[in-house]
Amino acid sequence: MLLQLVVSGIANGMLYALIALSMTLVYRATTVLNFGHGDMATAGAYAGFVLVGAGLPFIAAFALALGLLFAAGFLVQRFLLRPIMRAPHFALATMALAVGYALRGAARLRWGSEIVNLPRPYPQGAFMLGPVVVTNDALVITAAVLVLFVLMLLLFRATRLGRIIRAVFQTERGAALVGINVPLFHGLMWGAGGALAAAGGVLLAMIVPLTPDMGEWVLVRGFAAMTLGGFGSLPGAIAGGVLLGVSEEVLGFYVSTVFTDITAYLVTILVLLIRPRGLFGRQALARV
Amino acid sequence: MSGAARAGRRLFWLVPLALLPVPLALNPYQQFVADLVLMYVPVAIGFNVVIGNLGLFAFSNVAYFGIGAYASGILMAKAGLPWWITVLPAGLAGCGAGVLTAVPALRGVRLFYLAIMTLAFGELMRWSYIRAEALTGGSMGLALPRALLFGWPLDDARKFYVFLALAVILVIATERLLCSRFGRAFMAIRGNEVAAAAMGIPTGRFIVIGFAWSGFVVGVAGAMYAALIGHLSPDSFNLSELVLEFAIIMVGGVGSQLGSVLGAAVLTALPQLFMSWPGSEELAFGLLLILVILFLPRGLASLLARWHPIFRDRYLLEE
Amino acid sequence: MPALLELAEVSVHFGGVAAVDRVSLSLAPGEIAALIGPNGAGKTTLFNAIAGNAPVSSGTIRFRGEAIENRSPHDIAQLGIRRTFQNGGLFPDLSVIENVLAGLHTEIASGFLGLLFTAGPSRRSEREAAARARALLERMGIGALAEQSAGGLSGGQQRMVEILRAVAPMPPLLLLDEPAVGLAPPARAALATLVRRLARENGIGVLLIEHAIELVMQLADRVVVLSDGAKVADGAPQAVRADRAVLEAYLGHA
Repeated sequence: MLLQLVVSGIANGMLYALIALSMTLVYRATTVLNFGHGDMATAGAYAGFVLVGAGLPFIAAFALALGLLFAAGFLVQRFLLRPIMRAPHFALATMALAVGYALRGAARLRWGSEIVNLPRPYPQGAFMLGPVVVTNDALVITAAVLVLFVLMLLLFRATRLGRIIRAVFQTERGAALVGINVPLFHGLMWGAGGALAAAGGVLLAMIVPLTPDMGEWVLVRGFAAMTLGGFGSLPGAIAGGVLLGVSEEVLGFYVSTVFTDITAYLVTILVLLIRPRGLFGRQALARV
Repeated sequence: MSGAARAGRRLFWLVPLALLPVPLALNPYQQFVADLVLMYVPVAIGFNVVIGNLGLFAFSNVAYFGIGAYASGILMAKAGLPWWITVLPAGLAGCGAGVLTAVPALRGVRLFYLAIMTLAFGELMRWSYIRAEALTGGSMGLALPRALLFGWPLDDARKFYVFLALAVILVIATERLLCSRFGRAFMAIRGNEVAAAAMGIPTGRFIVIGFAWSGFVVGVAGAMYAALIGHLSPDSFNLSELVLEFAIIMVGGVGSQLGSVLGAAVLTALPQLFMSWPGSEELAFGLLLILVILFLPRGLASLLARWHPIFRDRYLLEE
Repeated sequence: MPALLELAEVSVHFGGVAAVDRVSLSLAPGEIAALIGPNGAGKTTLFNAIAGNAPVSSGTIRFRGEAIENRSPHDIAQLGIRRTFQNGGLFPDLSVIENVLAGLHTEIASGFLGLLFTAGPSRRSEREAAARARALLERMGIGALAEQSAGGLSGGQQRMVEILRAVAPMPPLLLLDEPAVGLAPPARAALATLVRRLARENGIGVLLIEHAIELVMQLADRVVVLSDGAKVADGAPQAVRADRAVLEAYLGHA
């Protein structure tokens, strides 16, 4: 039974991991936490929905949705965040919130009362993998996220762009000194964050009904995974996400079903109170 | 401040007086909106104490609002208490929640860590409204009995006067708190916590006081919500509502009492200018908030303060 | 006469490094002592140790006979020790007079309930404090700045306001960290007059970190020299000036 729960938890966990990873990427690159990330994921899902509805094959729609949200992320950073980079943290956080809010309003305006579902490009079903049941959904999501992770890993390690990213992550000033266009980099990272958010959104929208308020759910779980894994840590984001997904299933079965909902909230609160660094976090919180 | 300027500040008393005849001129829908504005004033004021005066990123305002509303609503619907008796308990419930959310801040949790933690707290509360069905009516919500003031049923016009009284009392009380060593202590903690301690200010105690007051004020606003809307639903106290509250204090002016009033008035009344298709308000407010952050980051109150010093926020008491 | 402030073999360690190394000194009420030394000698760290902002690894600090090492900064401030900060510690969003009033926090007897519900003693206490703060600003010639936002002042003005904020409650012990930086000569003279008056007429003990040698010679009753965290000299200004060890300390760090 435990094995079954763990396997089920991994699928959700991979989704959380994707969200947390994309948020961490943006945070590491620009030290801004994107409070509108969840709404960008929702926007990506709606974009995918529209494109599929327009007749595009799923893969094309998926890629295009990612592209659109890449552009959106880039534009937000370039025109809405860069001008206020020197403003107090509060203004930056609120700006991200505001963008998400506007996106949510636009989505509600267009689809508010409709129940929308992104059609799966594969048949629904399940199969046995040894002693455990694995749903097609779980398989597809896990595979998709793994593919994205492998692509990102290859990008990081084996390409010039990846070297640039690592350099900037290490030292922004140093990177600027060697001629890397750091402002452009910031924009591109937000673009990447947007694209990955869209990926998460599309995958999620295949398995749950798509509503304008989905973003809130995504945001909170992304934060929970980041907190658990340790803020700013990329492998931590993945570990935190998977661990969160598995914990939800395991606690939900063995302790009480309430935990499938509230594990994320409790994790966020308790980890920050007890061990703010999380699992792989790098620095302790600045204490006063 | 000169004697003339001080006398000028007393003119602010004229505002509530000038509002007294308002219900006579409004149709029922406009009356509802006016009541809504008065309800959002304490919501903004409470939020501003923590975000603007203490300078702490507590995104828990919606939690206090909801806790106050549900406290009032449950006492009315389940314990049969008349509305006016539930106002103080709602405030105290909000106050308790405020103190609870002060705990991480006391332990040094700051900036966006505090933000996401308080956000999680708000979601946890929203989940509990849904789960505690017997008490709260779950996701279907809770229908509430008519609001009563000493046995006298309140229609929207009468609510105006009650809300006006509550708003005025809370504004004055907060003003008294801010124009004192408490207000200065809050601003000191916001400006430079180490220096604040060097003045002999016990920062932990004052953080708790700030949160407690914020929770109380917003909890009372929650009771007003229960009276005005007559129906409680967990979805009313979600992230969207929080962003609306952000919009109110940012458009008005963060940390400014005047800003709270202005922001509440503008953002509640403004949507009535255009058709309220679901989502249009969010879109409009999101865009408005973006513009304000870019071009008027200190809000409308800062414009007024630039125009005439009488509108400047003050943290001392003279006369 | 019992010492106002007494440090006995105080050390402050960060990691393996002794930022302050077994420093002993004492200050009498009404005495002005200058703390000098090359950059990095540990002067501000010593202030931090006294004020509770840095942990004391060993040794004791006694204020009016009471041990205060490793107590919280606000406890120490409430006991009667006030300080200024090297990099400026004003509250930028408060006006000048509000900043000074923040310094008077512990002198104001307004309670939460008193403020909200009554018109009496709490509010009166607030008004008196405001009058006191205003009078102080007037006496120092900057009454006109009272309503200005502290963040908008020039560096020299900010320094002056921060000093007045520390001085306002007439603390028995005053720690001034480079008070004269950024001050033009007239302001320096005003500062010196103020410090001398506080010490002579009000019995306030003053410990100041200062690099301006003329000011030190002019003001200080005693000079304490730190180098690499340790005390190298402690005596009358003229004597210290001629001390070989002191010269070496400075030259060694040239």
